[in-house]
Amino acid sequence: MAGILKTIVVVTLGVSLGLLSTWLAVERGHGFGAVNAGVWMSWPKTGSSDADPYARAVVARTGEVPLGVAEGLSFLARTDENGDALTGRCDYSVRSPVPTGRFWTLTPLTLDGGRFSPAGERSGITSGEIVRRADGTFEILLSRGVRPGNWLPLARAEPFQLMLRVYDTQVSSTATAVDARVMPRIVRGECA
Amino acid sequence: MRMSLNLKIDWLTRISGWTPWFAGIFVIAGLVHIASVLAMPMLAPVDAFARLANATPLGQLVILDNGEPGKELLPYEDPAAVIAVCRYDLSKGAIRLKANFDGEGLVLMSFRNRFGTAFYAMTDRGTSRGQLDVVIANRTQLDAIEAEDSEDEVPSDLRLLSPSAEGFVMLRALALEPGQRATAEARLKAISCEIEQD
Repeated sequence: MAGILKTIVVVTLGVSLGLLSTWLAVERGHGFGAVNAGVWMSWPKTGSSDADPYARAVVARTGEVPLGVAEGLSFLARTDENGDALTGRCDYSVRSPVPTGRFWTLTPLTLDGGRFSPAGERSGITSGEIVRRADGTFEILLSRGVRPGNWLPLARAEPFQLMLRVYDTQVSSTATAVDARVMPRIVRGECA
Repeated sequence: MRMSLNLKIDWLTRISGWTPWFAGIFVIAGLVHIASVLAMPMLAPVDAFARLANATPLGQLVILDNGEPGKELLPYEDPAAVIAVCRYDLSKGAIRLKANFDGEGLVLMSFRNRFGTAFYAMTDRGTSRGQLDVVIANRTQLDAIEAEDSEDEVPSDLRLLSPSAEGFVMLRALALEPGQRATAEARLKAISCEIEQD
């Protein structure tokens, strides 16, 4: 009798532990093969047939359609360069450079990958909209209050993540590592 | 002293009695973990294909309305891009995609299996002189197409073997400014995606 009880306990614990570890693995990231570049992270193979089982599981759960390797590369940042989580309560300055590619876009997203801005409001900024300085460098200001220059409004005082997509880039075909120096810096300004 | 030694031995015996059970927990946990990770693409009820199956017709290119912020059909999409989808089921016939690009606006094209992974991807720059003619087919359909090829000519179309019977073509056209959305949408609408008639 004790043996049966022990077996039931062991199986229940084993199954729960197994499912919990799967949930943690799938919830926390996009599988192996993450490319880190400063605060930016990328999973270049997630959209391709080379994706590992964890990446496949994540994509199946979120329902996203990640970029294929030949289309471009997307990077996600959840913190500023000091390691503090990005939040709509603070202002941020995103500074050049950006990896070379045909076009790029920078978009604030909710932690679930939805648009951070409400419908009808500016939901991102693209390489075609940026005003550059004479030397080609630029700065994008993210804040809830209106700013002159390259301004990306933050709709709410809530946590968000930033997605940088570089399209038609040479980086993607060889992306096992990306130099943090070619990635934009994210510097926090004032906080409310 | 003897008391404590006895206690220690007693404790050790108890622990060692539990060892196989602990090992059992970890072995089961490991197997469940591996099985659930591998099974997730097959079991996930709302993966990209399932979402698109409810929103798009079969064998037809349609512009996708990705929904209001917070209620997106597909998460992590670029709001600057117009999306078009052509969903296919090869049991209804092979699929042919034809386009003519002017080389100005960015159009991303990816050919995806039932699980959303791209078995082929390219941009408008990857086409030959802006011309695109792609067939997506299964092995039998590809053999039938090849049987009709003339021996003197090199086929001008790109032939892709789909790893699954169902899948979709995902097309994204970038609008660098909100004013360019109509142009981006027109670029996608000019692409044809049809079931091949035998």
